Amino acid sequence: MSNTAKSATVIGAVAVAVASVAAMHGNTPAEAAAKEKCYGISLAGQNDCAAGPGTTCAGTSTVDYQGNAWTLVPAGDCVLYSTDASDEVYKLPATADGAPREGALDALERDIPSA
Amino acid sequence: MPKTPPPEAEAGQAAFAAALLDADAPIPADVAKIRGQAPEKRFAVYRNNVVVSLISALASAYPTVKRLVGAQFFDAMAGVYVREHPPISPMMIFYGAAFPGWVESFPPAETVPYLGGVARLERARREAYHAADIEPFTMEQFQAVASGVAPERMPELRFTAHPSLRLVRSAHPVFSIWADQNGHDVPVRQGGEDVMIIRPRSEVTMRQTPPGGFTFLSAMSAGQTLAAAAASAEAETQGFDLASHLTAALESGVFSGVKAPEG
Amino acid sequence: MADFTCEADIPARTGVGLKPEHYDAVLAAPEGTSDGSAHVAWFEIHCENYMGDGGPPHAALRAIRERFPISAHGVGLSIGAERGLDPEHLARLKKLVAWCDPGLFSEHLAWSTHDSGFLNDLLPVPYNEETVARVSDHISQVQDVVGRRMLLENPSTYLQFETSTLSEIDFLKEIAARSGCGLLLDVNNVYVSAVNHGYSAEAYLEGFPLDLVGEVHLGGHAEDEDDFGDPLLIDAHDRAVIDPVWALYDQVIAAIGPRPTLIEWDNDVPEWETLAAEARRADAVLARYANAKDAAA
Repeated sequence: MSNTAKSATVIGAVAVAVASVAAMHGNTPAEAAAKEKCYGISLAGQNDCAAGPGTTCAGTSTVDYQGNAWTLVPAGDCVLYSTDASDEVYKLPATADGAPREGALDALERDIPSA
Repeated sequence: MPKTPPPEAEAGQAAFAAALLDADAPIPADVAKIRGQAPEKRFAVYRNNVVVSLISALASAYPTVKRLVGAQFFDAMAGVYVREHPPISPMMIFYGAAFPGWVESFPPAETVPYLGGVARLERARREAYHAADIEPFTMEQFQAVASGVAPERMPELRFTAHPSLRLVRSAHPVFSIWADQNGHDVPVRQGGEDVMIIRPRSEVTMRQTPPGGFTFLSAMSAGQTLAAAAASAEAETQGFDLASHLTAALESGVFSGVKAPEG
Repeated sequence: MADFTCEADIPARTGVGLKPEHYDAVLAAPEGTSDGSAHVAWFEIHCENYMGDGGPPHAALRAIRERFPISAHGVGLSIGAERGLDPEHLARLKKLVAWCDPGLFSEHLAWSTHDSGFLNDLLPVPYNEETVARVSDHISQVQDVVGRRMLLENPSTYLQFETSTLSEIDFLKEIAARSGCGLLLDVNNVYVSAVNHGYSAEAYLEGFPLDLVGEVHLGGHAEDEDDFGDPLLIDAHDRAVIDPVWALYDQVIAAIGPRPTLIEWDNDVPEWETLAAEARRADAVLARYANAKDAAA
């Protein structure tokens, strides 16, 4: 541990910080009491014992991306985002936005701490 | 040019396994011929099952990555990955751990520099989803412990990270891009983002952490003392506010316990 | 041979493969039923999907097993592999069976793990003395570790081996005799393999050791063709059971009476009600022969 971390200043600051946290009124989120119904199945992932797609498809062809055979370019929603470092706003105006949106399964907060 | 002789077919599961992942490899010698011929299409059923099921496992683990590059590109990219990194474990729920790092060095994807970072987020979410179920350490529990610790010993407190806690740092706005792609209305601005992923109880939650938060939480989850973690965060972010970060961490269920200083 | 306890708490009724897509529908049903249909009496899980440390999959399984018997069906043990069983995977299986306490426990006659990794498919084995010995040893090991009798499932296969010297039935009989395992009779697999290799499914079933059957599987398959244009059926589990397979199922249940029967539907998973309708159809067959048995008694 560095000397800085051991300095009296830091010790004092940590003690004050902990004391202020310890003095807070109980504020545990009510999540525990909420009925847990959402299983977030999009995250589940699967082993199964079914066979796949038959006799012709990806399994019998390989694509050599190091040679000239790789002609595919990313062509999904990545076109929505600029990668130009001079762009302050990374997301381009959604002119041709038709991207499917799925429902949010997760609580999402922009930042912590919120206070 | 001299003609390369076709490779000799071998028998047994080693030959079978090799031929599954390499479509140019001969069909194993012990596979029964039909009308004198090696049954190419019949063997192709197994080749397809293996490769397609693994690509599909990656697609279900990395849905946002797939949306970002499109299905055709994703499937081709995943097809390369599954041959280079076939699973070691039979648990498909954890397949693809090396995918984010691999994507970052996959030349055809370099026009999407944030792709690997988004993959890291998705991986972290998957791991948090399947992590052990442990009640998070609450603010009340912390207050009870803290009341028994002398102020000068406070800096020596160490916390145990909740098993679902994952921290992702990216040079790209991966949190905003993920959120934008998954139905949340957030602006996507230039610049790196730090993300905390946690499943204190039933739901995986994800938050962008403010400056210093990533370093503070990384140090805490590595078992460092509160003072050392605060010092690391302060070194990175001047004016790091320990009280507000500690409060937020406790309220988010980031820890599963605290170790009071000994002696 | 060890004496394995086997909780007989899976009724000789219809169950379905548990899919995450259906957790909510299953748990929303009134107590004692599944979505009011009352024809789905139990659920089967794929063990590997519940081998994480915790989280929503465990929570869902705990909630469902409070209301329904659960059968555990492994898909990753690689019992037919030339290499030994993975002790870590066996330990995970033991742990899962310990907390989930399934009424039935089954695995496949197949391999999927080699030195190069896990291949995520049910790959075929040659039917000969060498494989009999290996598979029997592996099953004995599994039964010893897990503490349950295992049911071994007959496979869907797309090719055969020059090195096979036994019929599939003699092969299964010998393994059951040596290991003490029971059999899981997948009627769709019987049909798929019979068509693919040009033999009679009815004759196969007449020769099958039906007294060893602890569970029956039914599922849908896809149709393709081989290099010569001959039919090649694929065990895709992506659609309804076809009538010829229902007829074979009838033949089996008529011969041995009701057995726990599973509807498998793993790809293009339908709405819960579609699955429940398949279950009703199987349940009607089971009810018919249960009544016939009662009438005869």
